[in-house]
Amino acid sequence: MTDPIVLLQIFWTGAATSSILVLLTVAFSLTQKVTGLWNFAQAGFMGIAFYAMFYVLNDLQMPLLVALAAGAVCAASASVLTEVFGLDVLRARKSGSLMFFIFTLILAQFIIYVLTLLFGTEPQTLYKSIMSPVRIIGGIAISNWDLQAVTTAVVMVTLLFLFLKATKEGQFLVAVSDNAKLAELYGISAKRTYRVTAAIAGLFICAAMYLSGTRGGVTPNSPFELVLAATIATLLGGMGRVFAGALAAVVLALIQSFSVLVISSRWQNLLLYGFLFVTITLFPRGITLARLKFKAAASPPVSVGKPADVTQAS
Amino acid sequence: MEYILTIVVLIAIFVILSSSYNLVIGYGGLATVAHPIFYALGAYTSALLGIHFGLPAAICVLAGALVAVVASILLALSALRVAGDYLLIASLGFQLGLLQVIKNFEFTGGPGGISAIPNTITGPWRTPAYLLICGGIAALTVWLIARIVHGPYGRAITAMRDEELAFSALGRNAMTIKVVVFAIGCGIAGIAGGLYAFYFQYVSPDQFEVLHSAAMLTMVVLGGMGTTMGPVVGAVVLIAIPQAITFLNLPPAVMAPMQGIIFTTLVMLFLFLRPAGLVGPLSRDRMAGRTALEKSSGGVAE
Amino acid sequence: MTVVLRVHKLRKAFGGIVVADDVNIEIAKGEILGLIGPNGAGKTSLFNLVSGVLKPDTGHIYLNGVRIDGLPLYRRARSGIARTWQNMMLFTTMTVMENLLIAPRSYPGESIFKVTLARDRVRRAEREARLRATQILDRVGLAHAADAMVTDLPFGHQKLIGLSRALMNDGELLLLDEPMAGVEGAAYETMQRVVRQEADAGRAVCVVEHNVSFIKDLCTRAVFMSNGRILQAGTVDELLASKALTDLYFGV
Repeated sequence: MTDPIVLLQIFWTGAATSSILVLLTVAFSLTQKVTGLWNFAQAGFMGIAFYAMFYVLNDLQMPLLVALAAGAVCAASASVLTEVFGLDVLRARKSGSLMFFIFTLILAQFIIYVLTLLFGTEPQTLYKSIMSPVRIIGGIAISNWDLQAVTTAVVMVTLLFLFLKATKEGQFLVAVSDNAKLAELYGISAKRTYRVTAAIAGLFICAAMYLSGTRGGVTPNSPFELVLAATIATLLGGMGRVFAGALAAVVLALIQSFSVLVISSRWQNLLLYGFLFVTITLFPRGITLARLKFKAAASPPVSVGKPADVTQAS
Repeated sequence: MEYILTIVVLIAIFVILSSSYNLVIGYGGLATVAHPIFYALGAYTSALLGIHFGLPAAICVLAGALVAVVASILLALSALRVAGDYLLIASLGFQLGLLQVIKNFEFTGGPGGISAIPNTITGPWRTPAYLLICGGIAALTVWLIARIVHGPYGRAITAMRDEELAFSALGRNAMTIKVVVFAIGCGIAGIAGGLYAFYFQYVSPDQFEVLHSAAMLTMVVLGGMGTTMGPVVGAVVLIAIPQAITFLNLPPAVMAPMQGIIFTTLVMLFLFLRPAGLVGPLSRDRMAGRTALEKSSGGVAE
Repeated sequence: MTVVLRVHKLRKAFGGIVVADDVNIEIAKGEILGLIGPNGAGKTSLFNLVSGVLKPDTGHIYLNGVRIDGLPLYRRARSGIARTWQNMMLFTTMTVMENLLIAPRSYPGESIFKVTLARDRVRRAEREARLRATQILDRVGLAHAADAMVTDLPFGHQKLIGLSRALMNDGELLLLDEPMAGVEGAAYETMQRVVRQEADAGRAVCVVEHNVSFIKDLCTRAVFMSNGRILQAGTVDELLASKALTDLYFGV
């Protein structure tokens, strides 16, 4: 039998590490919910956020706050600019889903090639040393990084929740995601809402990349793996259910951590895709348990072209 | 010279890929991004059969195509049950998951891939011979697809894509047509995979990443989606142009990302400046392609 | 009189909205049944339930005595239901002729094997279909437009193509969803004439239509629906004589 302390340790570390994926999933899932798009360009924004912080900290030798601000501004503006000059143009042309798919994926790839050219393929960390002071509480090692990560994720997700619940702008977001056309009739600009969403996604991405870059090495290619994990969590949580997606991200990270006990680490990535497979074939609308729990938090998914539309006539 | 011939072989293989992809997405209107994985299935199947059983190359390639067909039918049957854009996401999962499996299994060579695939043609005429074979199959593919889409069957495919509900209400099983189109397209991709494996004698998972579906998609879009010659033009342009800078003798650390930048820039330029593609005036063919791309996921209005 | 369509105690609800509530209908060979009622009464939904776009919650549907409510859309069409749509749903990237050629219930050219292996049969079927399509286009007076793109035709003509496609489909039961909406002049006359001819030739026809005079001219019998229920059935004159119904209809 495995020592309960070990299990607890795995649980804690897994949960703390999941903060990164939680933030990225919220960014990805929120965008999917509001705009209806699977925005893979977010991989590019992740790269931009990380290397902006890296540049300010290491080449310019400026303090952390400046770096964070630079990362946030760069990621959010990249995200908003993509919305304004890319996605809006495609929307105006009534492009199909494949067009959006190519555009976001190619844009991400383009950004990553540029970053490769500028910064090389070596893994980089934000600080020279990524050792984080550790304290032992009840037999479990808890590092400063862990605390920082969990706090950041909890605070940001809570803020988003309050934003969606309590502010006018947040209500607009929910309205547009439910029915963009109807929302426009009530005088809410979908365009503006999409841009606000893009900016929020940029902030979440920057926070996640700060955590990622203070924990281990980041290469221009790592954002791709991250965006794919976010896609999987979004699917598991169910499209349009942002907070269920965040929960799915935690569960995924925990399952991956605990799987070390049973299977070799080589198969850990595969496990992630195994979940993706099962979700896609068995739970095309996400896991229903999560739906019950999060009904209050997230509105039901916007369905795509289901035959029920036919009944509206006559 | 050898280098240029190799590029031409590669172009022929990509003509096969982009044409078959065009059949699925341009004519069939099926939004899938899993084309590279069927290419991979063809390549790996024929490579493994060639190495372990020493079967003749032609049989290996056909077996590879068969595996791709079976896999594509499985994917189509499960993903097409759900309405809307679901195939896009399901195919993404299929692509990522299966490639991950390939990267992890011993017998597929893991992330390093498979080398030492038996050489079927030797001597100085190897590359020209392959050029002939690949070129011939590419021409055959283009011809076959043109035959399919311009006959009565193509009419059914077009009608299904235009108004699926009305099409079904005429007594046609849209699901069958979708599965058949998907399976044919993916099977042809499997053949391309087999050709690749035997010509380059080396396959690795990197060659079949999801990004390559963006590349194939771009060839289709750049040339003109839903046209016969569009994907051909697209494949030629998109492979030849990034290759051109290899003659500049840049250091490899600069070369690879530069090629990538050129490629992605080309794609974005075309996406925004010539969304309807290079081929032909505003013909009916192209209008068909345009609707396929521009049709939103909205179901049946009213 | 042979009953072609029999709908028995049909019910369908979406959440709280009931689109069909205990609906019973019979249509005989050669008969034209009118379906009238205010918007949202469930008329198109009834068409969708009969043709198989929607699955009923309870109740049965029989076509020529055979139960069909468990069949998917395309199998019901094959068993003999042809329909038109309120918004036409023509194949917009195709010509008029192609829209018609796609319509026959079975067509050898649409099997990938027959296309490649039984070329002669396909060619013969294609010729026959073309001949029939030309005849139908002649009847609706659009033979000259055979090679035009459907989207280039005026609205009224597009409606006629919708009807022609249904005729080409050749079902014993013909469901027409608002054939006259937006149609006037010569196209109106043609529509009326062709529908009448089809009924005389033995087809069972059901028409959803707001144009009361069209219903009055064509239908012997009509049904008034509201909120998914059949409020009254009878001759058109009887229905129009009821003040309660006309008030409901014209929204007074």
